[in-house]
Amino acid sequence: MKVNVPVLLGGLFITAILVAMLGSGFGHDPREVPKALEGRVAPTFSLVSTDGDPVSLADLRGKPVIINFWSTWCQPCRQEHPLLLMAPSQYPDVVFLGVVYADEPAKVKAYLKSGGQTYPHLIDPGGRVSIDYGVAGVPETYFVDVNGLVIHKEAGPIWPDLLAELVPKMRKP
Amino acid sequence: MISSLGIGLVLAGLFFAAIGSIVGFVAGARRDAWLLQVARYMAYGYGASLISACLLMMYALLIRDFSVHYVSEVGSLSVPTHIAIISLWSSLNGSILFWGGVLGVYVIGMVASLRGRHPDHEPYAIGVLLAISVFFALLVASIANPFAPTELPIPLDGPGPNALLQNHPLMAFHPPMLYLGYVGMAVPFSMCAAALLAGRLDAGWMAPIRTAMLVPWTFLTVGVVTGGWWSYEVLGWGGYWAWDPVENASFMPWLTGTAFLHSAMVMQRRGRLHNWTLALGMATFLLTLLGTFMTRSGVFNSVHSFTQSDIGPVFLGMIALTFSSSVLLLALRSHTVMPSAAPPVSKPSSRETVMLLQNLAFASFTFTVLVGVLYPLVMEGWFETRVTVGQPYFDHIAVPLGTAIVFMMGVGPVLPWGGVSEAAAGRSLLPALGAGVVATVIAAVAGIHHSMVLLALFVCAFALAANLGEYTEPVGVRMKRGEGVFTAMSNVLARGRRRFGGHVAHLGVIVATVAIAMSSAYKVEQDAVLTLNQSTTIGAWTATSLGTHEIKESNRSATVARFSLTKGGSDAGVIEPRLNFYPRMMEPIGTPAVRSSVAGDLYVSLLHVDDAAGVVSIRIMTMPLVVWLWVSPLFIILGTLMALWPERRALASASVAPAATVESV
Repeated sequence: MKVNVPVLLGGLFITAILVAMLGSGFGHDPREVPKALEGRVAPTFSLVSTDGDPVSLADLRGKPVIINFWSTWCQPCRQEHPLLLMAPSQYPDVVFLGVVYADEPAKVKAYLKSGGQTYPHLIDPGGRVSIDYGVAGVPETYFVDVNGLVIHKEAGPIWPDLLAELVPKMRKP
Repeated sequence: MISSLGIGLVLAGLFFAAIGSIVGFVAGARRDAWLLQVARYMAYGYGASLISACLLMMYALLIRDFSVHYVSEVGSLSVPTHIAIISLWSSLNGSILFWGGVLGVYVIGMVASLRGRHPDHEPYAIGVLLAISVFFALLVASIANPFAPTELPIPLDGPGPNALLQNHPLMAFHPPMLYLGYVGMAVPFSMCAAALLAGRLDAGWMAPIRTAMLVPWTFLTVGVVTGGWWSYEVLGWGGYWAWDPVENASFMPWLTGTAFLHSAMVMQRRGRLHNWTLALGMATFLLTLLGTFMTRSGVFNSVHSFTQSDIGPVFLGMIALTFSSSVLLLALRSHTVMPSAAPPVSKPSSRETVMLLQNLAFASFTFTVLVGVLYPLVMEGWFETRVTVGQPYFDHIAVPLGTAIVFMMGVGPVLPWGGVSEAAAGRSLLPALGAGVVATVIAAVAGIHHSMVLLALFVCAFALAANLGEYTEPVGVRMKRGEGVFTAMSNVLARGRRRFGGHVAHLGVIVATVAIAMSSAYKVEQDAVLTLNQSTTIGAWTATSLGTHEIKESNRSATVARFSLTKGGSDAGVIEPRLNFYPRMMEPIGTPAVRSSVAGDLYVSLLHVDDAAGVVSIRIMTMPLVVWLWVSPLFIILGTLMALWPERRALASASVAPAATVESV
């Protein structure tokens, strides 16, 4: 039998490589957002809230802190707003901080006036803090435990059970 | 009831395909006419079973029979009837069933059209095509079974299909067109494999293979363009092509399919490129399998990959098997299809040389796109590094190769088969080159100074003149002989309908190229935040915010923003971009408002509405000539119909020998 050896070897080689390449994608979720910060010390920041009060993360060491990056133009942020509004009364030992992402202070103030406010919302000039945290989109919420470590990052709106699950972990020294 | 009936139909299809495939191969090896007839019946049986299964699922979706698992996943009482029907392809299991059903249509089509005329090749073609059918019937019967009964208690209502699919009428056209393109490539694949299995490839067998490629290729063209159109009309970023992995997946088989259509002509006319043509025909189907894998495996990140599933590994197994069998067939059997006589000598300035170069350009284009698609996957899978291959990489390939291909599209038709001297070739190209130069100068005078656009206009005008010249020249000759203009035009057309079909398809490519060049280079875009009665101006257009209102529809609610428009100072009506909110979708889906005209579009996309502050933020842009991109497939459809329309002579004597029907391109 006449065999075209270059076609045979070349073709099978290409097939093997291609299948190996395609197969390498299994087990990876292409939509997953990198969670590089989890398990590391939360980057510190000192910002000023919409009410003009300075807030420094370093001063909050020893307390569980939930940092929520959001903006007024983001629909899912508006969806989770009522939950975040209620949460400080439910978890009085936890410090809630909003960090405004790529938005105008005037709009944020107007929104908080109509939508309600129960914790400070910080203006992040130039988005420096968002960059430090690696915020890829809003909303994103970082859960910082009493040791100052980020124990979880949630991309997308949060839900009540998530708070119930994470807050006890954040309290553990 | 529907569940049992559906599963029964799919199992029957699986049975017909499995038996028919084996019988087909045996009939081919033994040259047994009776067995061939059995294989044909089995093929019809497979087609009828899977088509019926698809229709049954549509019926279940229409009557909202939530006892069928797939209906409980994608059906909903609140969606309108047309959405209920297109839900068939809105999720994984339904779309695999649809794949099987479309394959059924093609199986019946192939067997009916080949019947009796190619006894050497037909049994093998049926054997291979039914082997592919076995795989899809097996998927539908096992891991992707849409007919599985719903677990009790049966829900009273369902969630409805993916919101992106509900959002625009084009979703009723784009996926089926793409499926008709993808699935249909199984037919030329099977026929190419049959040539290798039978050990014979002549112009008589290449003609039906080329027809079998032309049909799905046309559907694929329409599918790719409507996909871009959908993306433009729905996704709101103002573009139509993002070199997304799944867009690339549909583009790669289009490239190899186009290359095949040309190399098949070289094979038919000049007795060259036998194995190359077969390899292209087979690669085109393999790339469609790759495309289906990309959309359905969940391995690629794309706006189009709607489903994450465990079907991936099985599909990968199918890809591995089909790729390696194709390689084995080509390696072991390619010598059997080589012509015994040496092909006639071709000069460098010949049509076949241009087609060979054009084929190389298509192959390089495919390869570089494939590298761009696979590179991020490999980097992440093997090296744990996340990278993206962006638009600049693809543009770097697409612009020079696309320009070269359009240029060759003008050179090829002007040069004769076999070739002429360089001097004669130069002389025959001069008029078209002149037309290119004139068009470029006119464009530059008219204010177009973008160098790539000028280059695109040059090659397009050149190719247009060359392709038109192929028609006007013989018409002119006939008129000199005393024929009237219309008689001459119709006589020329009648004598080479297939050839002119090709020229008309070329016009479609030229129109698309001009539209792409102009709309991407001269797009003007701006974002604006407007309070009530505030205006923004872009070019000649001014949009004034008239506020927003909410509307409620059966399956969604929407925030609609109204803008009054003026163009050049005169009233141009009202435009209403909207944000649609679907239950169970966290983010709204925009529907930009587009005001189209032959000269260009005004495109307004609603980004955000702030009721508290009373402001709307919009993206507003103008895109010249973009509407011509959506029109371009019409030329390709027309060209294909011209090429496929049966010749009057052939109709008169259906028994005409296949070798004699070889097209006269």
